[in-house]
Amino acid sequence: MAITANSSADGQELTIHVEGRFDFGAHQEFRDAYERIDSSPRRYVVDLKNTTYLDSSALGMLLLLRDHAGGDHAQVRLANCNGDVRKILAISNFEQLFQIA
Amino acid sequence: MSEPLTILIAEDSPADRLLLSTILTREGYRVLTAANGQEAVMLFEQERPDLVLMDAMMPVMDGFEAARQIKQAAGQQLVPLIFLTSLTGSEELARCLEAGGDDFLAKPYNRLILQAKINAMARLRRLQATVLEQRDLIARHNEHLLNEQRVAKAVFDKVAHSGSLNAANVRYLQSPFALFNGDLLLAAFKPSGGMHVLLGDFTGHGLPAAIGAMPLAEVFYAMTAKGHSMAEILREMNAKLKRILPVGVFCCATMLNLSFQRRLVEVWNGGLPDGYLLRLDGELQSLPSRHLPLGILSANAFKDECEVFPLELGERIVLLSDGVLETGNQCDEMFGEQRFTEVLRSNRERGQLFEEIHQALTRFNGSVQDDVTLLEVSMVDGASLQRPLLDAERGGQRGPTDWRAQYEYRAQTLRHFNPLPQLMQMLMAVDGLRLKGGALYTVLAELYSNALEHGVMGLDSAMKQGASGFAQYYQERNRRLQELDEGFVCFSIDVSPTEQGGRLRLEVSDSGEGFKVGQPVQGSTGRNSLSGRGMALVRQLADHCAWSDDGKRVCVEFYWSCNA
Amino acid sequence: MSEAHIDNQVLASLREVMEEEYPVLLDTFLVDSDERLRLLREALLNADAAAMRHAAHSFKGSCSNMGAPLLASLCKQLEEAGRREQLEQAPDLIEQVEREFAIVRILFKSERQRHA
Repeated sequence: MAITANSSADGQELTIHVEGRFDFGAHQEFRDAYERIDSSPRRYVVDLKNTTYLDSSALGMLLLLRDHAGGDHAQVRLANCNGDVRKILAISNFEQLFQIA
Repeated sequence: MSEPLTILIAEDSPADRLLLSTILTREGYRVLTAANGQEAVMLFEQERPDLVLMDAMMPVMDGFEAARQIKQAAGQQLVPLIFLTSLTGSEELARCLEAGGDDFLAKPYNRLILQAKINAMARLRRLQATVLEQRDLIARHNEHLLNEQRVAKAVFDKVAHSGSLNAANVRYLQSPFALFNGDLLLAAFKPSGGMHVLLGDFTGHGLPAAIGAMPLAEVFYAMTAKGHSMAEILREMNAKLKRILPVGVFCCATMLNLSFQRRLVEVWNGGLPDGYLLRLDGELQSLPSRHLPLGILSANAFKDECEVFPLELGERIVLLSDGVLETGNQCDEMFGEQRFTEVLRSNRERGQLFEEIHQALTRFNGSVQDDVTLLEVSMVDGASLQRPLLDAERGGQRGPTDWRAQYEYRAQTLRHFNPLPQLMQMLMAVDGLRLKGGALYTVLAELYSNALEHGVMGLDSAMKQGASGFAQYYQERNRRLQELDEGFVCFSIDVSPTEQGGRLRLEVSDSGEGFKVGQPVQGSTGRNSLSGRGMALVRQLADHCAWSDDGKRVCVEFYWSCNA
Repeated sequence: MSEAHIDNQVLASLREVMEEEYPVLLDTFLVDSDERLRLLREALLNADAAAMRHAAHSFKGSCSNMGAPLLASLCKQLEEAGRREQLEQAPDLIEQVEREFAIVRILFKSERQRHA
């Protein structure tokens, strides 16, 4: 598991890449990815292209990000979700809270 | 400066011993001396020095053996050991290291080198002591934490397994690890005799899960006992969890509302894997998650819509936690839905289902499964179930015996308020009615939904033909209820004493058009007609039942005798 | 003679370390050396290579600490002979050790008198 983050040139969008298993082990790293940055982005993208697995604590972490990004007004997009990840997000009906692509 | 280090010198040459001990004493150390290995080991055990300088070749017991014994006696504590030898061969070097030597000092002794080595070893010793201290601290913290988790588990265990899980129509399987993982099972009889059942799965485990489980269970049991509807209970559970749990902690759950009399089940699934309805003809109907888990949405965004299914005697519902589907094998595959439904389909004997699932998981994974929560609820004849007494039935003081009250609930109230708990609470204060609580609740509930759905909202029960019509009916019901802006349902309650005991007269009227009395509208009790059951029940349970000529008003009566 | 009987620099530093106990150290060394020589002769008599090696090793250590380099180097040769279990050179070497020790003893005695 490895988490990297990069800001768009104008600092408006932060993209967080999650590689491997996205579970409780990623807790601190994932938080650091959006809390320890200089810019204050308006939009967030969580890139799940290389995420192999996602458990309920990962769902909790996504909710924390959403909360950080403004709760109901947050703009958080979950990008490049593969079949398994999409399935887990669908069971939890997270499409009601996030843009899923 | 703290206490000086104590250094043990083991050296058989008296001149070297004298020289070394003089150097170290002058440097401020406390010095112990031994002339051979055996003396050194004895002195070590008595005095527990902090550091040892050991000659390799000594009579009686050589330095290598003495070093081994000292290291063993020191245990986890680091006692640095410096061999006093001018090493001439790699073989000897290997022996020193093997015996536990940490460093070497060659003859002739050089005071500066000696001091540097002792300082380095003292640092190493302090480092090791700190590590041990921290390790012990962590171990104590961990023990403390484990103990808290044990307590949490015990509490959670009680909370998660109370209620009516032992009812004859409920079967469940829960591994200890799944319990600890925050899976919980709740079941309770409703005052009307039906049942509420919930399978929940908290994010996180141990303490956080137990913390969420308690208010959840409390709301579930208290509101079910008071006669609240499933939607109300779900709303309250969601609101309570949202209020108390930190963001990111939530509860995936499926809740069932079983009505034995009407042979119906209502299903709400938020975030759990598909549940399954097992029809008598072998058909499998999935009960997918339609909602976000409990504890995420704010009260006004929460959705309590559920799906309603008719359920024949002997038909079953199976619910499961994600641990079942996520059971992995050596190839990193998950057990998954397909394998699970295959087991469901091939099940012949209902009592064997869990055993078959367990076997399939064990075959798949190659070892015993430990993250499994399964629940099976069957439709049975409600009368066959042993139901615990309602609180109100357990007796108490003499209640009011002669009174009258009228309640009119108007559109705005009807949209979001369930009047039944309020009415029940009042009626259960009457001594003679307590033992009739179940029947009374059912009658009240039937009359209320009849007045609301057919009277106020004008829904046609003919819509309910067949399973799809059924769902459509309830969708339409919810839609109309949301938009309701006029109409009322009125309850008149009259309790009066009689010669034998007492009588309740309950009149329900509504703003609807009514129906033509005399036409057998509610008469049909055919197997596939789901609509007539409600009114037939009322006739059966009440001591007397009559409709006004315009069909807008219904009056039921219950009688009781004093010594009942 | 390529090597000196006594290393005066070592003795100077010993004096500095030992202070008033310096004569005791010298005495201790001389007494102990007699014992080492006895052990060497005994090992030769018994043709015991291991005992020879041990005694020579110990003696070598104290000689180097006490600033008697020639004696230390003779002991080292004896230790090697013991290690290789070739005791044919041992009688000759032991005789050399005894001769050298006799010189060292005289030098230490006078050193002791000077610093008594």
